[in-house]
Amino acid sequence: MDHEFSFVLGPVVIGASIITTWGIMGVITVIAWFSTRHLEMLPNSLQTMVEGIVATIDDAIIAVAPEHGRQIMPFIASLWLFLIIANLVGLIPGLDSPTRDLSVTSALAVLVFFSVHWFGIKTLGLKNYLHHYLTPSPILLPFHIISEFTRTLALAIRLFGNMMSLEMAAMLILLVAGFLAPIPILMLHIIEALVQAYIFGMLALIYLAGAMQSQQLNSPE
Amino acid sequence: MEFNLSTFILEIINFLILIWILQRLFYKPLLAVIARRKQFIDQALADAKMLQQQAEEQHSLYENRQKLWEQEKQAAFTALHQQIDVERKAQMVQLNNDLEQERQKNKVTLQRQQQELQRQAEKQALQNGARFAGMLLKRSASPELEARLFFLLLDNLKTLPAACTLCLQLLGTKKSVPIKITSAYPLTADLRLPLEQKLGLLINSPINFQYHQDAELIAGVRMDIGAWVLNVNLQHELIGFAEIANDAE
Repeated sequence: MDHEFSFVLGPVVIGASIITTWGIMGVITVIAWFSTRHLEMLPNSLQTMVEGIVATIDDAIIAVAPEHGRQIMPFIASLWLFLIIANLVGLIPGLDSPTRDLSVTSALAVLVFFSVHWFGIKTLGLKNYLHHYLTPSPILLPFHIISEFTRTLALAIRLFGNMMSLEMAAMLILLVAGFLAPIPILMLHIIEALVQAYIFGMLALIYLAGAMQSQQLNSPE
Repeated sequence: MEFNLSTFILEIINFLILIWILQRLFYKPLLAVIARRKQFIDQALADAKMLQQQAEEQHSLYENRQKLWEQEKQAAFTALHQQIDVERKAQMVQLNNDLEQERQKNKVTLQRQQQELQRQAEKQALQNGARFAGMLLKRSASPELEARLFFLLLDNLKTLPAACTLCLQLLGTKKSVPIKITSAYPLTADLRLPLEQKLGLLINSPINFQYHQDAELIAGVRMDIGAWVLNVNLQHELIGFAEIANDAE
C-alpha cells in the first residue's frame, strides 16, 4: 500500500505513513495552537475540554511516577495523543493508520527504548543506572539485556500486529458481508484503537517509571 | 510487513518534532494555567481557612465575652433584686405608716362628721321642739304665758353662749347702745327692771331701752340688740330659746 502513495526525495523515500503522520502532526498542531490562544483563569468550553484531557493524562502519569511524572509527561502524553489519532485515522475512507506500518511502530518503540535509558541516566547518572543491570545478581545481566530488546520488539510488534490485523479483518468482512455488516467491526475498530494507544502509552510509562524509580530504590543513596 | 529505514528515521524525527511542538504550544501553557488556577484556588482556600480560623477565634472570644457578660448580668440582677427588696421593704414600711396616718385622719374626720351630724340633728331636734312648743303654746297665749316666757328668758341670759357674750362685750365699746324690746302684751315695770339689770351687767356701756308692743308676736318678747335679733315669742316659734340652748352646748 505504501508504494501507491510514496515518492522519492533524493535518497529518502517518503511513504504514505510519513505523509499521514505529517497530516496528523498538522492537525494536532492546529488544534493545540487554536485551543491555547486565549487561555483564561475562567475557562471556556474548549479550554475546559483540553485542560481536562491534559489534566487526566498528567494525573495518570503522576499516579505511576509521582516523583518524575512531570519530567516524562510530554513524551508519554504525546505518545497517547498521537497514537489515538493515528489509530483512528484508518476509519477515514482512503486513509490508512500509520500504526499498521511496522516502520512507524518500530520507530516509536525505539524511541521508548532510548527514552528509558535517557531518563534513567539523567535521573541517577550513568554509573548508578548501569549498576541496576547487575542487581540483584550479576548473573541476571544477560536476562536484563535480553529483556530490554524483547520488550521493545514486543511493543512494536503488538501495536503493528493489532492494527494491521484489525484493518485486514475489517476489509475482509466488507468484501464478504456487504455494506452494513462492517459497522460493528468499525465500532470494534474504535475501541481497539483506543485500547492499543492506551496499552502502548501505559507500557512506555511503566518502563520509564521503572527505569527511574526502581533504580532510585536500588541505589545506595 | 516491510521495514522501511527512511520511514523509520523520518518517523523518529517527526515524533520528536511533535513532542517539541506539543510541549511548546500545548502542555506548557495549559499546565501553567492549571498551576496558576491551582495556586489561586490554594490561595483562596488558605485565605478561607485563615478567615475561618479568625472567625473561630472571634467566635471563641465572643463566647467568652458573652459568658463574662452573662456572669456580670447575673451579678447585676442579684444586686438589683437585693436593692429592690430593700427598697420594697422600706416602701412597704413607709406605706404602712402612711396608711396608718391616713386611717387615723379618716377616723378623726369620721368622728367629726358624726359629731357634726349629731350636732345638726340635735339642733334640728331643738328647732323642732321649739316649733312644736310654740305651736302648742299658741292656743294658750296670754299675759301669764308671756310673763312665764319672759322669766325663762331672764333665766337663760345667765347662760349665754360665748359668741353672744362676745358680741355684747363688743357693743360695750360704744357710747350708747340702743336695745329695742318688743312684746305682745305690755311689759310691767316689775318685768322690765330685772331685764335691764341683767343686760346692764352684760354690756358696759349705757343702754337706751326702747319698749314696743306687737300683737303679732302672739306671746313672748323680741329683742333687737344691734345686729343680734333674739326671738323668744310664739310668732317665731320660740326659735331664740333653741339658738341659746344650741350655742350653749
